[in-house]
Amino acid sequence: MSDYAIETEGLTKVFRSRWSKRELLAVDHLSLRVPRGSTYGLLGANGAGKTTFVKMLLSCTHPTAGRAKVFGRDTQEAEARRPIGYLPENHRFPTYMTGWGMLDFYGALSGMGTADRRKRIGELLDLVGLETRAHHLRLGKYSKGMLQRVGLAQALIHSPQLLVLDEPSDGVDPVGRKHIRDVLQALEQKGVTVFLNSHLLAEVELFCREVAIIQRGKLALTGTVEELTSGSGYRVEGLNVPERLAAELSARARTAAAVNGSLNLLFATREEANQAVDLLRANQCEIESLARTRSTLEDVFIKTVEAAA
Amino acid sequence: MNATLALIQDTFREAFARRIFWGFFGCCTALLLFLIFILRVDVVQGALATISIFGRSLPSVGVTNLVEQTQSVIAMVLYFAGMALAVFASAGLVSAMFEPGRIELLLSKPVSRVHLLLGRYAGNVLVVSANILYLVVGCWVIFGIKTGVWGAGFLLSSLCTIFVFCVLLAVIVLVGVLWDSGAVAIMVTFAIMILTPILAQRFTIERLLSSEWSRQLVRILYYVLPKTSDIAVIVRRMILNQPIESWTPVWSTAVFGAVVLAIGAWRFQKRSF
Repeated sequence: MSDYAIETEGLTKVFRSRWSKRELLAVDHLSLRVPRGSTYGLLGANGAGKTTFVKMLLSCTHPTAGRAKVFGRDTQEAEARRPIGYLPENHRFPTYMTGWGMLDFYGALSGMGTADRRKRIGELLDLVGLETRAHHLRLGKYSKGMLQRVGLAQALIHSPQLLVLDEPSDGVDPVGRKHIRDVLQALEQKGVTVFLNSHLLAEVELFCREVAIIQRGKLALTGTVEELTSGSGYRVEGLNVPERLAAELSARARTAAAVNGSLNLLFATREEANQAVDLLRANQCEIESLARTRSTLEDVFIKTVEAAA
Repeated sequence: MNATLALIQDTFREAFARRIFWGFFGCCTALLLFLIFILRVDVVQGALATISIFGRSLPSVGVTNLVEQTQSVIAMVLYFAGMALAVFASAGLVSAMFEPGRIELLLSKPVSRVHLLLGRYAGNVLVVSANILYLVVGCWVIFGIKTGVWGAGFLLSSLCTIFVFCVLLAVIVLVGVLWDSGAVAIMVTFAIMILTPILAQRFTIERLLSSEWSRQLVRILYYVLPKTSDIAVIVRRMILNQPIESWTPVWSTAVFGAVVLAIGAWRFQKRSF
């Protein structure tokens, strides 16, 4: 049994125009390993190749070169898709179905028996927080948020070991987002691998332990969120700082800003921050706050994308 | 099996939702009601006494002959007009499957692409077959009760109609896989439906053509394309209890349908969404 939920080797996709000879390299020799049981975020600007990559994992799109495996099985095999639950970004569920009927249909396609489906559907609709009156309502009457919730239930219907989610909280209100995050965290604790493709970097940062950033179809950066966002600097906020000292400290700091009588300073190292505190105290200035700051995932993402460009 | 049933059930649900099924069902029911209430046939000791439509008596003919002639008219209407309606309705059902956002969900399930396609195909055939059988069996029972004529030809003719629909649906599937377009599928299928009765007159056409290559082209088209017109003749002969001269139109049409469906399945297998 493979240690990786997802393994790709040199995965490449070139889209060719049917009539002209134009080619578009959507994914370029992308090799990625997603450990079993991890929560993994895939980030990239629009058109970076994220969705094409995900579609190749699910065999919706055939790779031009390379290969993809899920739990050690080639994704070209239909059986390789059995442990995968998938929620696409721009899903179009049949509007003539009810929430219940849709889950029943996709459950049957996932190989579940009738009794198992009946038992599981009720549980799932409650889990994703869909009101009872909506269970037998046609999907055409659902709001965007309700569709996302029932879509998540659809991805979970057969208790998958790998959940591939493309913008799962798109159109969902903040309370709903928190609810979806809680559901995903509960799944993570059960050992389910969650592969998240989202533009909401704060959401990825909150939920995922590892991320990969792709740019123009290539892997630009990969690592744990902890590693990527750590060690940004030390923030010192002082009150009643004399002008002369403020000028001196601002010259030493990476950034400095005076706001409502306080001076906010950001230093690159602990030593610099300690020296600044010593100077402030020596001049009878008060220390309002002292904290270690971290980069946000957005900072890392923008730096990576700009560097790759 | 679970997946196949789910795909068939889904096609029925979509046909219900699009009012396709109910549209056919309504037309069929209207015709059956017409036969029940409007057509009045009085048979005395196995011989036809009177026949009246809207209360007007018609010239008397033999019972069996009358029933078979009427059944053949119904079968022809069903064969041509009903088939056109069925093609029109089915094109949307097939192309809907390839809609972005829907196809990805289907393909992400542990079901092979060929299975998905054939499941949808089977569902579509069953939607149309249910209505054809409802009309034909309904007519057959009404005629049987009213006249005592229970010939099997009319029932068998419905199988030929369903068979031709299966072949035309294969064309719809292939066009749907290639272009995702219900409209193009309708155009291509209608073109075949219009062209094949013309090609059935190939001997006359060949006499009118001056060049050998054009005559050859007509012959090739005749042998390659489904022979819907020739099968219509077989259907009529079946109902009238006349001998069938040749089954070649049936098997050559079956070969066409199988090849087209196989190409459709192959293209679907190879296609990226």
